[in-house]
Amino acid sequence: MLVLQRCNKKKYISPPPELFMPFHRSIYILLLTLLPAFTYAQKPACECFIKGVVKDRHTGQPVVGATVLIIGQNSGVFTDDNGRYELRNLCPGNYTLECRIVGYNPFQQKVDLTSGHEENFNLLEQEVHLKDVEITAHRTDAPSSQPLTTLSGIDLEKTRGQNLGESLKGLAGVTTLQTGSSISKPVIHGLHSNRVLIMNNGVRQEGQQWGSEHAPEIDPFIATRLSVVKGAAGVRYGSDAIGGVILVEPEELPVDKPLSGELNAVGFTNGRQGVLSSTLQGGIKNFKGFGWRAQGTIKRGGNIRTPNYFLDNTGISEKNFSLAAGYRNKGLGIDVFYSHFDTQIGIFSGSHIGSVTDLLNVIKNGEPFVKSGFSYAINRPNQNATHDLLKAETHYHFKNGNRFQWTIARQYNNRNEYDLHRPRNDSIAALNHPELTFKLTTLTNDVVWDHKPIAGKIAGQIGVSTLYQYNLMDGRPLIPNFNQFNIGVFWIERYVKNGWELEAGIRYDYRTLKTYRIVNREKVSKAFEYANFSGTAGATRNFSERFSVRLNMGTAWRAPNVSELFSDGVHHGAAAYEKGDATLKSEKALNTIASIKYADPKWSLEIGGYYNYIFDFIYLKPQPEPVLTIRGAFPYFKYTQTDASFKGIDIAGSWQFVKNTTISSKLSYLRVYDQRENSYLVMIPPNRLDNQLKYELPDHGNLHRLFFSVGNLLVAEQKRVPANSDFLPPPKAYSLWNVQAGTTVRLTDKQQLEVGISVQNLFNTAYRDYLNRFRYYADDMGRNASLRLKWKFGA
Amino acid sequence: MKMNRKLTWMLLLGVSLSFVQCKDSGDDVEPDDENELITSVTLEFTEQGTSNVTSFSYKDADGDGGNAPTKFDEITLKPNTTYTLAIELLDESKTPVNDITKEVEEESDEHLFVYTPTPSTLLTYTYGDKDANNLPIGLTGKAVTGAVGEGKLKVQLRHQPGAKNGTPTPGSDDVNLDFVLKVK
Repeated sequence: MLVLQRCNKKKYISPPPELFMPFHRSIYILLLTLLPAFTYAQKPACECFIKGVVKDRHTGQPVVGATVLIIGQNSGVFTDDNGRYELRNLCPGNYTLECRIVGYNPFQQKVDLTSGHEENFNLLEQEVHLKDVEITAHRTDAPSSQPLTTLSGIDLEKTRGQNLGESLKGLAGVTTLQTGSSISKPVIHGLHSNRVLIMNNGVRQEGQQWGSEHAPEIDPFIATRLSVVKGAAGVRYGSDAIGGVILVEPEELPVDKPLSGELNAVGFTNGRQGVLSSTLQGGIKNFKGFGWRAQGTIKRGGNIRTPNYFLDNTGISEKNFSLAAGYRNKGLGIDVFYSHFDTQIGIFSGSHIGSVTDLLNVIKNGEPFVKSGFSYAINRPNQNATHDLLKAETHYHFKNGNRFQWTIARQYNNRNEYDLHRPRNDSIAALNHPELTFKLTTLTNDVVWDHKPIAGKIAGQIGVSTLYQYNLMDGRPLIPNFNQFNIGVFWIERYVKNGWELEAGIRYDYRTLKTYRIVNREKVSKAFEYANFSGTAGATRNFSERFSVRLNMGTAWRAPNVSELFSDGVHHGAAAYEKGDATLKSEKALNTIASIKYADPKWSLEIGGYYNYIFDFIYLKPQPEPVLTIRGAFPYFKYTQTDASFKGIDIAGSWQFVKNTTISSKLSYLRVYDQRENSYLVMIPPNRLDNQLKYELPDHGNLHRLFFSVGNLLVAEQKRVPANSDFLPPPKAYSLWNVQAGTTVRLTDKQQLEVGISVQNLFNTAYRDYLNRFRYYADDMGRNASLRLKWKFGA
Repeated sequence: MKMNRKLTWMLLLGVSLSFVQCKDSGDDVEPDDENELITSVTLEFTEQGTSNVTSFSYKDADGDGGNAPTKFDEITLKPNTTYTLAIELLDESKTPVNDITKEVEEESDEHLFVYTPTPSTLLTYTYGDKDANNLPIGLTGKAVTGAVGEGKLKVQLRHQPGAKNGTPTPGSDDVNLDFVLKVK
């Protein structure tokens, strides 16, 4: 065999050995990586391959059905019955391999297939065992038969500087519910707020999620991975995950690694917003098994500009930081994490209305009455929210393969909302107290036991989760004070054999809720009790390394939240009188989700269909008679229950039709129907189609991954709305263009700079979005150019 | 197994902790007296040249929601008559009752009452007061009725901090009531 290869100079996945201590976090997977890459004389380009074995360190068992894929490409393979995998037809270059295993967090590994050395050598197709690379992995526990979409690496970098909701918006099936441009909540398959669970670093995020203008208090810079589990995932994460789960996951702690860090700077022209975020991390010399990380973010922005005018008082200020430390010794691991999130958001002053007349006048005017120029000032109305999370986690791996994990966390969410108008009474106004204050304290406990694999094929876990929370409310009466206690017990088993993965799980939850409120100056207390089972069953069939099919059926249930039980007043943002109902029952979801996935080096396609039937779905039903208040008559909406069906399809595909040029498309299609009333439901995201054309240049000197892309987002008009349900029909369809470019510059061996530029809403199109609550008052954001820099140093 | 015993203890500790971490939010509930409400609006018509006073009110003692408004009077006035119109706003949910009229007066530079009859021939309103910036307020004024007829009188209190210019457009409604108006 003639050898003139350019890709096998470095022969193995080569992390510095000290990065991988023998006992690290969680379960270890041995990736025996063999890179005997070889080529033929006439076509040296793309004949490299990577092959190896994935093994569980503790049991020594090969891991069957793990996915090994190359980030940024569409090639991925599954490990066979012996845990072996092989990736073929690779061009020389730098790759990041990712290994995903059922029940483990994906792990990434850099692979260098460039001509770093000068020597040629002759390797025939034989495996050479070069080095054992120990890979540490942390559990995600997401059901493997449910679609899990992850944003990480370059795709996550492109979203840097945006809030959590905006960052996830690019994923198929995920949209946002917005209040202006600075407040956005993720919507999965048409469901949001209390129906979507956010796991922030392994802990359920508990804020005032019921409010549509209450965005999740999470700094996305904490995460190196944002994942979305679509569909009811109640069994593992909590019974109320009816729509799905969002996993916000930081990188593993750098135990015993040298000091490293990164500095991110992002600037946006619209709002003249700047974001700075930095991370420092490392181990400690002479303190084996220790790792730490410190991270902080500052964000400041001013008034947002629509194509034709500024939006008064839409500035934002955010200061967040987090600290993490961990210790590993043999099978033992202890982690402590603290994060503080502090945001101050101006609410567009033109959105303050006192009566229906006010609202109708703004709608008639077509643009806001309040005009302004640019300013960074944040005045009334505004909302200030802080969120503190303290988490301690410990786990122990037994030699026989069992594993025990205990997580305890305390969260404190302090939300203050300031109305546009101060109190008229001067002495009260001088106090400048918020008109609404919510202080929510949540304590959670999770104990999980993983039993050792039975016959190397059945793995499972049993867990107990408890939650205690209490809410203290001040100001204008809105929701009551409450104490809530929840206990959940779950059991999940997985069976893997011959390309099949089967899983089933069951969970039981019991919840008590006690509310306290003032009625006619008297304290009134009411107690509630809810309990139910939830379950999941699913199958995955991996026909080949490129083709797999999944089916999952899951149930979830959600107890009504306090605002659904006790709301009683005018919702000024919506010009509606909303009334709760203390007799509401829990809503129950039965979700079926099926997907097929095909991926090869040239093209990939993933099609997912779902049918989520929600019994006793809680929604605001318009009542025939308006309610008379001192500000006039308001349309009357009452929290009511119905049966609702959510049917939809998510399609994501990409095709490299010419060398270096890829077109990718994402389609989200959703139909929602009120089965009892035989009509549609309001506030359902319209269908959307996202297309991107990307040209990636070959590496050039120190420039890596240089790309240009142009994209278009097409959002349809939501035509499926109940008749006469709104002051304004849903906005027209819109089409937005964007351009992006980026590259990574390798400065030195240990330093690199990532640069990205983008222009969103390229043609400064005036549009309004149906799921933006400000659509009555003003247009959405105009053109927004951004520059993103990331400097990384150390390991 | 020493380790297993330790773990059992940890487990017990964890589970027990989850029960003792409780605080009762019920200890913390009290009425909020900083929260300003307008629960009653009274229009006082004094026939010019006499001491004949007729009052018409809207009352919703517990504010929005809860119990329905207890009073929403029809305004009955004589045709072709000149009245002095005064308005009184109260917050009756507090003890003692809070006089909002006084507070509006103190901050008259950011408040404007607007009286709109339909049809417009029913009544003509002329402002009788001015704020520090020489803009009308509407706490007191003159109402002249037209010929016999029936319609509505819309009474609005526009809250216009920093934006008051004498027109109703800026700001938002603090009061927006459609009284039935009968001139007979």
